[in-house]
This record gives sequence, C-alpha cells and structure tokens, in this order.
Amino acid sequence: MKLLKYLCLSIAFISLNVVAQEQEPQSGHVNQNKFKQLYDEFSTPNMYRTGSGAPGPAYYQQQADYKMDIEIDDETAVLSGNETITYTNNSPDVLSYLWVQLDQNVRQKDSPSKDINSSRITPAMSASRFSSSYMSERFDGGFNVESVTATNGSDLPHMINQTMMRVELPQPMKTGDQFSFKIKWWYQVNNHVTDGGRSGYELFPDGNRNYVIAQFYPRMAVYNDVEGWQNSQFWGRDEFALPFGNFEVNITVPSDHLLDGTGRLMNRKDVFSSDMMKRYEKAKKSYDEPVIVSTQAEAEVREKGRSKKKNTWKLYAENVRDFGFATSRKYIWDMMAVKIGNKDVMAVSLYSKEGNPLWEQWSTKAVASTLKSYSRMTFDYPYHKAISVHARRQGMEYPMICWNYGRPDENGKYDDRTKYGMMSVIIHEVGHNFFPMIINSDERQWTWMDEGLNTFMQYVAEQDFGEWYPTALSASDDAYPSRRGPAKKITRYMGGNQDRIAPIMTKGLNTYQFGNNAYGKPATALNILRETVMGRELFDYAFKEYANRWMFKHPTPEDFFRTMEDASAFDLDWYWRGWFYSTDWVDVGLKEVKKYYVSSEPNQYAKNYAESRDLNLEDLNWVYLVEEGSEEFNEKLRKGTSADNSPSLKEYMMDNFTEEERKNIKQPKYFYDITFEKPGGLVMPIIVEFTYADGTSKTETYPAQIWRYNDNEVSKAIASEKEIVSIKVDPKLETADIDTSNNSWPKEVKENDFDKFKNKVKG
Amino acid sequence: MSSAHKYYVSVTQLNYVKEKKVVQIISRIDISDFELTLQERYDKNIKMTNIDEKPMVDDYVKKYLNQKIEIKINTKDVGFSYIGKEYDNDVVVCYLEIENIDKITTIEVSNTILFDKFPKQKNVIKTKINSKVNNLIFTKDDRNQYLNFK
Repeated sequence: MKLLKYLCLSIAFISLNVVAQEQEPQSGHVNQNKFKQLYDEFSTPNMYRTGSGAPGPAYYQQQADYKMDIEIDDETAVLSGNETITYTNNSPDVLSYLWVQLDQNVRQKDSPSKDINSSRITPAMSASRFSSSYMSERFDGGFNVESVTATNGSDLPHMINQTMMRVELPQPMKTGDQFSFKIKWWYQVNNHVTDGGRSGYELFPDGNRNYVIAQFYPRMAVYNDVEGWQNSQFWGRDEFALPFGNFEVNITVPSDHLLDGTGRLMNRKDVFSSDMMKRYEKAKKSYDEPVIVSTQAEAEVREKGRSKKKNTWKLYAENVRDFGFATSRKYIWDMMAVKIGNKDVMAVSLYSKEGNPLWEQWSTKAVASTLKSYSRMTFDYPYHKAISVHARRQGMEYPMICWNYGRPDENGKYDDRTKYGMMSVIIHEVGHNFFPMIINSDERQWTWMDEGLNTFMQYVAEQDFGEWYPTALSASDDAYPSRRGPAKKITRYMGGNQDRIAPIMTKGLNTYQFGNNAYGKPATALNILRETVMGRELFDYAFKEYANRWMFKHPTPEDFFRTMEDASAFDLDWYWRGWFYSTDWVDVGLKEVKKYYVSSEPNQYAKNYAESRDLNLEDLNWVYLVEEGSEEFNEKLRKGTSADNSPSLKEYMMDNFTEEERKNIKQPKYFYDITFEKPGGLVMPIIVEFTYADGTSKTETYPAQIWRYNDNEVSKAIASEKEIVSIKVDPKLETADIDTSNNSWPKEVKENDFDKFKNKVKG
Repeated sequence: MSSAHKYYVSVTQLNYVKEKKVVQIISRIDISDFELTLQERYDKNIKMTNIDEKPMVDDYVKKYLNQKIEIKINTKDVGFSYIGKEYDNDVVVCYLEIENIDKITTIEVSNTILFDKFPKQKNVIKTKINSKVNNLIFTKDDRNQYLNFK
C-alpha cells in the first residue's frame, strides 16, 4: 500500500516534469501597456513646437499676400484672373523655389485624379451610365496658366506636376526676404451639380447661374517646420493647407449680379442701390431679426435680365488663409448684427428664391447662433462677418463665407430631414471659420483636425441653437437632434468590420468610411472626453487654451494632444492612444457578481489558511464572509446585522468604539464581489449604477486607470448597508459601449431590434 | 466640408433565429443615395420623408429590395417578406424576414443595392448563423457571397 502511494506520487511527479518540459519557453516583450506614454508616437518637442503643445520660441510661419483682378464671363462661364503674390519667407531656411497649388487641375481632362479609383467592366449597366462612362468627353476644367512672371515682366521658369506648380526663384530667398510674382490664368467653371466639386455653378432652368467660387486662383502652398513644403497632391477629397495673408481682390461680374465674399466690401456705395444701402444700415442695428437688404421681388426682376454692363466688386481681407466668393442675379440678401465680445459681427445669408421659405427663416439666425457658441468655446470671432450661401448639394467652407445645402420642394414644402440638414450644415460650415480657417491645421494631412474638432463643436453649437431658438425644433423634439456627438451614435461604426476601419490618425485621403472616421468618431471622442472623462470644467479650459495658442497659426495633432494635457493635469495619453491611434472599441461588461454575508462560522478558506500555517482560528478573531448559495451559506445569515452574525466583530467594536460611536457607525450588511470584463480593446472609466432594494440608486465611476494592471478583467469589493438588486454598467450610454448585452446584473433579456420593429408595425 | 455623400456603404445584419425558424434582416442604407436611386429608377416624385410619405414609396422600396437582394438557403431560392422601414437620421432602416427555415447548412447571398446608381457603393452584410459570425462584402465586381455550415 505504501509502495503504491509512493509509486503514484512519483508518476505524478514525472508527468508534471513532462508537462513542464512541453511548456513554451517564455520570451520578453516590449511595453504594450495601454497607459504607456506616447513618446514613440509623438515627435520630439523642439524650438518650434514645445512639449507643452504651445508654439515654441522659434515658431514661424510664412505669409502670402495676394492682389487679384478676377472676371467672370457669365455667357461662357469662364473665369479669368491676374494675380500678384507677395511671399514672405519667415523661416530660418533658404528657399530656392516656391510651390503653388493649382487645385482646378483636378478637373483637367487628363488629370490622374480621375483615375485614382479602380474601375472594371460591368457586364450590364444602365444606358445613362454606359454613355457617361464610355461615350462622353471628359469635362476639361483645369487651369490654363498663361504666364508666370516676375514683377518686371520677365518669365519665371516653372513646372507643373498635376495640381502643384514649382516656380523657380531668380535668387534664393533668405530669412525675411520677400518676393513678388505674377500669374495670369483662366479656366472653364464647372457645373458643380452635374460634374461635382466644391466650387462651380448651379444652372437654373431659365439659364441663370449661381456661382460659388473657390480654389479659383493659384494659391501658395504651406512651408513649415513639420512638412517642409506641403505639396501633397490634391486628389479631390482631402482638403487644403494654406498660409495666412492679406487679399485685395477686384471681381468683375455682370452689373445685374450681386456678390459677396471673403473680406470687407470696399466700394459698397458703387455696387449697392440706395435702397440696399438704407436697409444695410438698418441691418447693422438689428440684433434679433435679419433685415432683407435685397428682396425676393428685386431678385425676380434681376433674374429676367441679362445685363451687358459690368460691375467690379472690391474686397479686402486681412489675415485670412483663403478667399471665396459667390455671385448671381438670383440672390435674396439678408443680414443681422450679432454681439461678439464688445464688437458687432454681421451674420449674412445669400439665397435664391428656391431656398425659401426655409432660408429666410433660419439661415442668418443659424449663422449668428454659431458665432456665439464657437466664440464662447474658443475666442471672439475675429472677422467682421460670416456669410451662408445657399448652393445645391454643397457644404463647403472658406474664410467668412460658406456654401450650404437644404432646399424645399417646388411648393416650398420641406420635411425634418431637409430642415435639420440645412441648419446642421450651416452650423458646421460657419463653424469651420474657427477650425481650420483660423486655427489653421493641415487639412491635406489630418482631416480629423478640422472636421473632427469642428463636428464636436457643431454638436455643442446645435444644442445651443435648439435651446436659443426652440421654435426651430419640430414638435416631436425637445432638443436639437444632432446626428453626431452622442456616444451611442458611433457604436455601430466602431463595432463594425475591422477591414473597413482606419485609425483617426490616418491621412484623410486613405481612410475608409470618411464620414465616420474623420467626423463622427473624433467628434464623439471629444464629446465623451468632455462629458464623461474630464468633465466640462477641465476640458473647456484646455480646449480654449488650444484654440487661443494656435489662433492664426498652424497646429499639428500633437500640439492639440499636448495642450489638452498641459492645461488640465489630466494624463490623456491612454485616451489618444486608444481612440485616435487605434481602431479598438469600447466593450465593458459585468462578468460575475457574488454576494456575501458575514458569518460566525469559519469558512473553508479560513480553515485551510489556519491549517497550512498551523494557526488556531480561535486566536485570530477573524470575521468570516460566506457566499450566498454556497454550501457554507445558511438562510439565518440574512437576518441580523453583521455584528450580530460575527462575535469577533462585535467584540472588536465593543473594545474600540464608544456606545455613541457604535450607534452611528456604518454597518454594511451586504457584500459583493463584482468582476468586470473588458472584451473591447479600449480602456475607459467604469460607470456603474447600483439599484437598491428600497428603489434608490447610486452611480459610481472608477477611473480608466483601474485597467492598468489587467486589461481583461478587474474586480471591486462593495460593502453596502442596503441590498443591491441590480447593477448596470454605463447606464446612460455615455461611453460608446458597442455591446450592452453584458452590461446588466441580473442579465436583462431584451427584445431584439427586429422583433421590436415587427411588433410595432403589426400593432 | 460636409461629409454627406462622401461614403457609400450600406450595412445589413442578417440573423438566423433558430427557435423561431426565421431569418431576420435589418438593412441600413443612406437615405439620400437610396432616394436618388429610386427617383431615377422609378419615379422622380419619390420622396422619403417622415411627414405624409406617399404609400408608393414603401411599394418601391419593397420592389427594389426584391430586385437587388437575392438569397438562397440550402441551395434553394428563398423569398423574404418586407416588414417595413423606418428612418434613423440619414439612414433608411429596412426590415426583412424569411420564415420557415428549419436549418441552414448553406446560404448564398447577392446584395447589389445602389450599384445601379453609385459605382463605388459597397454593401456589407454581417451574418449571425448557427452562432457563427461572418462579414460579407459586396461590390460592383463581387456580387455573390457564399457560406457553408456543414
């Protein structure tokens, strides 16, 4: 018998040995902790950009000033121009050439941008598709550069590579040097409704056009400490990087056109009728309702004529990064003043009668409301006006002016989708005045820096708008129904197929699901940061600091990330890493909840512990906890207080507390061992709602750092005086948890979406 | 820039609920793209709206989905019933159901929604059948997907 025992033991020993040999040898690893600081991802701070996220002592930016004469021939829809660019080299570097952007070349007949997408023969297709694919000539809308000359008239050697033109400098430009040169060009303006594009015209059945014109002139590229020349080609989707400068622009159009654009109108008296002047003066003092400066009746008269005479509108803008304008016979024009800080800004709308009644009701008010919201969150809007122009299927921004969609049907009727779509796009595009027109990030590289930040701000501004103009809301809405911002709206995207998701920190051109990637997810990430992770006070201060540090400058993503931490003492590297550098998603749930009671009987754990250490349990005076439903549990434990059920505890209290203290002491009776699981890769704070037997509830938030040692599951011991009847993780759906089926204890059985809808329609 | 019309993806969830012997399908399609397609294809007066929508819109949605989604289960063509649709912001959510499916050993799906109007359109179907999850992606050049559960 003894022998057999020995034999068994040795077999066990041997087999253990075998197992040990089969184990993979361990290997080392690099730091993959979710809370690892972003030293590897961030560039090293330097004299241009500091570790705090602010511009450094050697920060510089280039300047490009423009003088332009532009003419639109309405009969041929040809735009021709003549510009003098004065470029100032503020960099410490010597430049031997300049890069100029020729964005309209994206519409050249042979532009490679038209071939950037793969295509294949479809075995069957509609007749119209067949004809547009194979039978029609490609529209030719590229720049025709007639000359590039020095101010003395001599030709400057230049080379055009797609949408970028390299201009050779006669002498290298040293720090502080200025160089002026002239470009003469023309191009065929595109119909943006049929040919696409963010600039162009809409053709109305009566032959009138509405021109919304941008990227119409050769524009200086950005040269900076981060990219050198930002001359990444324009392929049509990713937007722009532009230096600041002053613009003096004279635009000649038919004399029956109205026009407005970036900058101050310098010859208003020459181009306004005396009636318009009077109404304009009135508008400057109207803070609540827009004043119509040019009426629908007047527009209807103008659009019947075709004046052969011309008018030149003179605009001057200081410290803008770009220039856009809109012109048509069809415009109704209204304006109102809005107080920003101690200054009056004009909120302006231009729209044709097709936009009414929606546009006269809401456009200018949406502009004014947006300026107030953004100014509160960043800085006082520094320009003197902001214009919203109605353009079919457009939503596009330029300094002081933007194009927006939203058109009622032929009978002037519109539904909620049209109405809210129009209000949202106006708020969004006017908001772009701040991001990226003034906080001038590099859109060509980082779409999210302008679209994401702006969509976050759009959410804030939309909620304000709904509050300030409740009559703008439909009867069924008690708040503005924002499409992006709330956490639960992004879960479908973040929980989607990983093959079609890119991290936010991806060049805009190369992202899948552009709208979710560059707009929805960063906006939601910032909204969650503000409302749930940092809180409004800390977030708003830091966000404002970022805006002010980089106002009229060129920030990078790191400048934003660093400033948010620098101004708040909130380590957010884990948040940026997860939300911006990865495609991980949030899924936090309850894995297990165990309930314990205090008992006077030693439990097995205590017995084992004492035995293995040769201790006497009676000397230890321990308090024992037994799990409900376990073998050691008995129903009696539910009765009485914890002290009643544990002599050790009772004696300890008698010895250490006065009678008065004992009367008031907290005596938890219910003990819970809660295990949280995290199937999702993102770390987030755990928000838990406890509901008690008496119907009350309490919410606790455990900081995200709870996950720092174990990325898969963590536990919390809860001692409660009241019995907990249910536990819910993320009860208000504020963390973007993609799967809430594991969020409740006891598990909630929910009707699925399909059955819910089916029961609804079947009544 | 507004992001409307910038991405072209419809996402469909297809679940087999064995206890009920049904396949439940929820399809989410961009409302503007869907409306333009139906207008060009059937009737320029089609307007997808929450307010006083014409009954013909439902008829056309049903007709279109029947033309563009084909499903074979266990090698046999199966029709689906159109339960209805609702609007969720910019998305049309369509509910389709296939009844009397005792088991699924193979399923073949073709989803060509909006390919007739938007050549860059991609349709994704996430399936949950016999506790297995799959992602099927449909493009103009790749119109059929097949799953085998044998």
